[in-house]
Amino acid sequence: MIVIDAGSPVPPFEQLRAQLARQIQDRTLAVGARLPTIRHLAADLGLAVNTVGRAYRELEEAGLIETRGRAGSFVAAAGEEGRERARRAAADYAAVIASVGIDAAEAIRIVQAALTSGAAAPASP
Amino acid sequence: MTNTPMSDAGPPPADIRCAETWLRRHGLSDGPPTPLLATRLAVRRRVRLLGSVLLAVLFVAASLAQVAALPGASGGSGSSRIVPVMALSASIVALLLTQVLLDAWVRRVDRRAGAALPRRVTHPVQLGWAALLGRPHAVMAGATFACAFALGVSALLVTEGTARHAAVVLLVAVIGVALGAVLQLREMLARPVVAEDEVSLTADVVMRIEDARESSAPAVLWALPVVLLSGFAPGWWSAASAGFLVAGVLALVAVHVRAPSYAATARRAVGLR
Repeated sequence: MIVIDAGSPVPPFEQLRAQLARQIQDRTLAVGARLPTIRHLAADLGLAVNTVGRAYRELEEAGLIETRGRAGSFVAAAGEEGRERARRAAADYAAVIASVGIDAAEAIRIVQAALTSGAAAPASP
Repeated sequence: MTNTPMSDAGPPPADIRCAETWLRRHGLSDGPPTPLLATRLAVRRRVRLLGSVLLAVLFVAASLAQVAALPGASGGSGSSRIVPVMALSASIVALLLTQVLLDAWVRRVDRRAGAALPRRVTHPVQLGWAALLGRPHAVMAGATFACAFALGVSALLVTEGTARHAAVVLLVAVIGVALGAVLQLREMLARPVVAEDEVSLTADVVMRIEDARESSAPAVLWALPVVLLSGFAPGWWSAASAGFLVAGVLALVAVHVRAPSYAATARRAVGLR
């Protein structure tokens, strides 16, 4: 379900983009699922076509959806690949933690600190 | 359902009562109906009533086209039989245009209702015909059209004179009904969602399912062969058309018994997306 609240301080395109991104990432929307056309979604949500177009464009730039010409927009496999990369990185991290003898609670605190400080970029080898 | 005022006056109490009944029938009666729902259901009820009148007009037009070719009628022989068929075709085009206007009326009321909502909700994936109509209903609608068409063609091939003319009238009417159903289904798929929360989104899907199944209801196609060709066609053909009717009724009962309720189908459609 997508909800657009006209009274929200968040711009409608961002409300739409964030909800679609979340649903793609938590797999509510499966890879390959066909999204409504921009015109149709704009009519459903009472938004301008440009507003929906902007949200779709940003999702496409983030690799979460792909547009296949006139066939429409589909959920891309990129989100799934990203999740797989994160799983592999987590397994590597767990191996490092075990080898240096840090306990699990502290390891989780380290990850949380890294996420909070925005240092989630891949570490150099 | 949350209560969003549509206008200062609001819908008439009769429309609110009908909406309450509709909610109860579909097991959606968590609260009183909103003016939004009452208004949308009211326009659909009126359009459905006018749609029944259009079908009645189709029956009258087809019967007149048939009567015009009977022996003793002014246009009852030779090439003049083409005139009633042409008149019937023109009537069907007029009926289809009227149906399009009625659908546009529903869309206009929906759009106005949606524009008044401060919060809009929809599905991230568009519902297709399979979700709305349901495969069993779609198969049944297709099979009913195919059987009615086959009955018309078979009568056309094996009969002559008045019965042959009646078969042409039947085929024109069957094609008209099928075109009407396709146009309505197309319109329903393109019609925007009007909802403000999960409950109204479920109600919106139920309305679409009702509209879709109503537009593909088989009763007209069952009745047309019997009405237009009984007494003119050979005995085996009359038996086949009666068999078509009985088999159709049994299939419809089976589909209704086995298919999940409208509300269950709608909840699944909303929940899965």
